[in-house]
Amino acid sequence: MFEWSETQEAVRDAVRKFVEAEVKPKVDELEHGDLPPYDIIRKIYSTFGMDQMARESFKRALERKVSGEAPADRSEARGDGGAAGMTLIPIIELCHYCPGIVTAMGVSIGLTAGTVMKRGTPAQMERWGLDLLTLEKIGAWAITEPGSGSDALGGMKSSARRDGDEYILNGNKTFITNGPYADTIVFYAKLDDGSDTPVRDRQVLTFVLDRGMEGLEQSEPFRKMGLHSSPTGEIFLSDVRVGRDRLLGETEEETGGGGRESAKDNFVTERAGVAAMSLGLIEECLSLSVAYARDRELWGKPIADFQLIQLKLARMEVARLNVQNLVFRHIEMMAAGKTLTLAEASAMKLYSAQAASEVAMDAVQLFGGNGYMAEFRVEQLARDAKVFQIYAGTDEIQVTHIARDLLSRPS
Amino acid sequence: MNVVVCVKQIPDPAAPQALDPQTHNLVREGKLILDDSDSYGVEMALQLAEQAGGGEVTIVSMAPNGETSGLRTALAMGAAKAILISDEALRGSDALSTAKVLAKAIERVSPDLVLAATESTDGYTGTTPVQVAELLGLPSITFAKKVSIAGGKVTVERQTEAGYDEVECPLPAVVTVTAGVVEPRYPSFKGIMAAKSKPVDQLTVADLGLEGQVGSAGARQAITDVADADTRQSGEIVVDEGDAHERVVQFLEQLKLV
Repeated sequence: MFEWSETQEAVRDAVRKFVEAEVKPKVDELEHGDLPPYDIIRKIYSTFGMDQMARESFKRALERKVSGEAPADRSEARGDGGAAGMTLIPIIELCHYCPGIVTAMGVSIGLTAGTVMKRGTPAQMERWGLDLLTLEKIGAWAITEPGSGSDALGGMKSSARRDGDEYILNGNKTFITNGPYADTIVFYAKLDDGSDTPVRDRQVLTFVLDRGMEGLEQSEPFRKMGLHSSPTGEIFLSDVRVGRDRLLGETEEETGGGGRESAKDNFVTERAGVAAMSLGLIEECLSLSVAYARDRELWGKPIADFQLIQLKLARMEVARLNVQNLVFRHIEMMAAGKTLTLAEASAMKLYSAQAASEVAMDAVQLFGGNGYMAEFRVEQLARDAKVFQIYAGTDEIQVTHIARDLLSRPS
Repeated sequence: MNVVVCVKQIPDPAAPQALDPQTHNLVREGKLILDDSDSYGVEMALQLAEQAGGGEVTIVSMAPNGETSGLRTALAMGAAKAILISDEALRGSDALSTAKVLAKAIERVSPDLVLAATESTDGYTGTTPVQVAELLGLPSITFAKKVSIAGGKVTVERQTEAGYDEVECPLPAVVTVTAGVVEPRYPSFKGIMAAKSKPVDQLTVADLGLEGQVGSAGARQAITDVADADTRQSGEIVVDEGDAHERVVQFLEQLKLV
């Protein structure tokens, strides 16, 4: 694929119209105020019938789980029917204005609901999955801790101490997207079974918590560099008592890899998502920059006439083309029932995130003093782009994943 | 309740446009989109059909090069099918030619109601819908800001400069709706995917039996010249030397605003 299909273009046009009408007028409140993004996300879902589609896919997933049928893996014979494109188009369009909305939505639906649906029992899917998938409830996915980000699983200190049939949960989580507002929290903790297994090596269990539980505290949103339309906070657990019904899968047995694998399941989807976000942000920076270069005059002519400005525009176009090609490749592979390797997904994320940051900072430079002012919007996009290199695996982690995958292959 | 909506597919107003130097017609070679002013008619039709508890909405359009992009938008919103009249012989059609073509196509559906926008946002003649009504021998009401159907009659709040008139006429009828009569829905993703397989009947001038009567052959109207509009004059700048408020009041008095 080298361009969107007619249907994909129709979806893009419809979402673009919505974003211009519903998101653009609220950018100030979202990015420079404290307006939480959830009502807008719910409106996107209801407007485009995504809530109804979620109900239908929930029903199918539940039936599969109950019947014990294997999940719809993307075998080569059966692609995703173009679903990846349909998911990524709204992401790209939203990132023209508010990448944070995508982060808040992605964490609630992709990570939180995704984990419950994949690891939960049918009862747990019904209890939490549907409300999360339709955005009736907002989800947070709590893995990172103050002392461990990239080393989230090994360095994790949060504990789940067995107490009869129940568990006592303790620990602090930080940088938790939707943390301040989440109704449902997927919480990762190390099993404390009373043995002297070193903490690093203990089994990771996954629990589901509800807002307001005794001993569970959710912080106010953090002040941060950018991505203000995605509220981020801390979660504190102090002797939170839970039954086995809140342990995902309702067993400590590591079927399908347990909590550690559960956290890693999301790598490819998440990394492709960041590439799509980068594409939207780059497209916006490029079109704003081209328009500004034409309009802005210095020494009696448009700055577009100066070659140093042309160089910036050319570099932005190179980045746009490369990232678009990567996103198209992912969409096409998914449609063909294939998945990116860990090295490919990590390379795509590494390149796209760096490209987005560079393009956005070049746009600020091209706009000069105006670029530093909020009114011209590129400063917000530049602040937002920086996090692409940090979350969903830092640049440095992507490098190690690429290398690890390449070096683990038979010579 | 079967409703036909006449729609126009126009070049994207956000993209740069050009006039053909020979014919002075708008160049319509690229992708065309559903005229935004027609989305109100489509939404109105869908709501009326839903309220009536049944029936379907048919889109009728005339466009060059078999263009269906704009029709797909209307189908994605929920219309059941579309009729497209696309024929090289239609090049150079004036408003009356267009009305003849649309009327012939509409006859095939025998609808209870025909809706159209008050005017297109590329041509702005605003005459086609009433010509369609005349050719079909149907009553017409223009500038509707509210439309309701009951007891075989259509009742319309017809926009006027001072407010609105309440007008009614028996069905079938032709009604033109203003922008803002209803809030057009966004097509759902499912709707967009379903629109791909909804029927679009493509007809030619011969299918409608209108050979030699439409297009440049039947045109009674020609664009003889196109001239640039006068450049807007720059405004007067008043430097405040303590009397600016008086100057402003004088200016407003001149305009009889105070």
